[in-house]
Amino acid sequence: MANKRNATVLVGLSLAAVAVIAVWKPTVLIYGIQAAGLYASIAIPMGLILGIVHIVNLAHGEFMMLASYATYMLCSATGMDPFVAMVPTAAVTALFGFVIYRLTIRQALKAPELNQLILTFGIAIAMTQAVNLIYTSQTRKLSFEYVSASIDIGELSFGIFNFVFVLVAILMVVGLRIFLTRTTTGKAALAVGQNPKGAAIVGIDVDRTYGLVFALASALVGMMGALFITRSSIFPGVGSPFTMKSFCLVAMAGIGNIPGILGASILLGISENFLKAFRGLRGWADIVFFVLIITVILGRSIRGKKA
Amino acid sequence: MKKALVILVFITMAVSVFAMGDKEGTAAAGSAPATIKIGATWPLGDITGKQGSMAAQQAVDEINAAGGINGHKLELIVIDDELKADKGAAAIEKLVTVDQVDVIIGGMASGVALGQIPAMKKYGKVVVATGAASYKVEEALGADANWYFHLHPWDYNQGQSYADGWAAIQAKYPTIKVGRIFLAYEEGAFGKASFDSSKVLFGNAYTFDGAPFKSAAFGGGDYAAVLDAAKQYKPDLFLWAGYDADALPMLEQAKAMKFNPGIYLGAPPGWPADFGKSPLANNVMLYGMWAPAVNDISPASKKFYTGFVAKYGVEPATYFAPLSYSAVYIVADAIKRAGTTETAALIKALEATSYASPLGQTITFSPANIIKHQGIRNQKILQWQNGRQEVIWPFESATSKPVYPFPAW
Repeated sequence: MANKRNATVLVGLSLAAVAVIAVWKPTVLIYGIQAAGLYASIAIPMGLILGIVHIVNLAHGEFMMLASYATYMLCSATGMDPFVAMVPTAAVTALFGFVIYRLTIRQALKAPELNQLILTFGIAIAMTQAVNLIYTSQTRKLSFEYVSASIDIGELSFGIFNFVFVLVAILMVVGLRIFLTRTTTGKAALAVGQNPKGAAIVGIDVDRTYGLVFALASALVGMMGALFITRSSIFPGVGSPFTMKSFCLVAMAGIGNIPGILGASILLGISENFLKAFRGLRGWADIVFFVLIITVILGRSIRGKKA
Repeated sequence: MKKALVILVFITMAVSVFAMGDKEGTAAAGSAPATIKIGATWPLGDITGKQGSMAAQQAVDEINAAGGINGHKLELIVIDDELKADKGAAAIEKLVTVDQVDVIIGGMASGVALGQIPAMKKYGKVVVATGAASYKVEEALGADANWYFHLHPWDYNQGQSYADGWAAIQAKYPTIKVGRIFLAYEEGAFGKASFDSSKVLFGNAYTFDGAPFKSAAFGGGDYAAVLDAAKQYKPDLFLWAGYDADALPMLEQAKAMKFNPGIYLGAPPGWPADFGKSPLANNVMLYGMWAPAVNDISPASKKFYTGFVAKYGVEPATYFAPLSYSAVYIVADAIKRAGTTETAALIKALEATSYASPLGQTITFSPANIIKHQGIRNQKILQWQNGRQEVIWPFESATSKPVYPFPAW
């Protein structure tokens, strides 16, 4: 009863805060939600791997970077739009992810977690250096007219393209929910994620399921890599900051809580943009990220202890 | 006894033959002209440093193909400093003690140069530096570093040249008005130093303000807040100091927010590949030292550019390529005039340098605020026009007239 009342108060306060921000500075909400869409759509595939395969893939951002380069080359050579190119890119990254899983991750599944971290960290470095050798460190960016699409409301003009990432994040959450709860493979993946030994006893091929999940997550991050080139420049190190951000969002949401990643991203996006609205606090936007994570994880730990 | 005598004679002959052989070898080595070794450090993982080393090698090959210097061939030994101060310092140690180079050239980042200075001071080898813009490097060198020849302008030289440039442009083109300047700067050391120095330089003559942003190079890339602040400020000149990764995304967001300053100017160390192909790039202004357009006014630039493209099959991406190429030629010319690589004579010859560089200007050395040998003192103001960087100022190097105002979206 008390919990329900606390939750109601929290939701009420949050809505009131959002209403105040919307009246005071609507751009905080607009840009905050847009940033949240980008963060969530990159973090969700990592959450899927962590929730089911139980591996922290430190090469997550580099998978996206590779997909971005593949899309860039495809679009440059053929004139294809990234929204079309994301289909073949997703297919290629799925295959690539599956191969990487079979050749490396699979061998380290039973190894200590530190070894797994070192392995994926090594993969990340290898990918970055390979791209640097092939394409150099020079940044690349394709220009698309629709990226600058905007809306005028009174005197306020703002870009609307980045709402695409919000849509992508929502589609990922809904799509994964349907996959994990309504399909046989998805249900098997969920079972493997919850209890791999139990799943194996009832006849689920755990190794195959891990491979499939890794390939699916690679396809999703590959798709995001394709869309990423619409808004951002690409260079060999472009992916690594997103690995850290994604991991923190997954940790904030709780392992296996994919809709929670979207919630955590919205909280982060709005908080960052709220601070950016104050002249003297713009440099603190990065710190709010870690403050939120520490607060949420500490809060969860304290609640867990009490329970 | 007889047998012992035969053995003794044999040993004596054998020793004589080996001794002669050795003597002949020494003579041969002594008579062959020694190679002049130029040591260099650049960050080879970065395109700027990589192309700097490529251009330096191009210059070495050109000089060797033309007969070398006073009959001596040049050899370039490059070590990757990995943009790390400790690696840069170790590279200087190795170049001097192991490779035994005659001269040191190169460098890019100020942080690396700061790490290298103690080793440079220890050995006192002649250094012709292509990088390091921070005044802190000059302070660390001190007034006694007469072996240090700095080609790149110091940060205060650059700032002063921008102020001079805008004053000159407004005087020549009265329709161009610069009253309010807004600087969007990346929140790292590079951007903050740009803001501090610009505030000092522009603060008196212009109304000046600025705001930081997180560069895409470090995981940022959302410019809405900084562009919003700039839009509210209504600047005549919007200047951003960040990295090449910020160039196009910032323009796209500026367009989405309908932010239209009279002058839109970027000051990244380099530009993205194919930036000029974007329709948004047209009429964006920039600061730099060189662009392929300089070929139109400088035969040295044309020679460098043609040679670089022929040798490597790519265009030079930043001015560090012609700058590094210039460093080799300056060193070669000084050694030729000095007739030796001995430090004192070489310093004297370098002080008399007058080199018509591919940067479109003649390089000479004169005292800076602290050091005695400063080469280039100004950057150029350029503008992207129809996919090409055109030089707008200095007027003597201009390849085109400025297009003003920056067109409305």
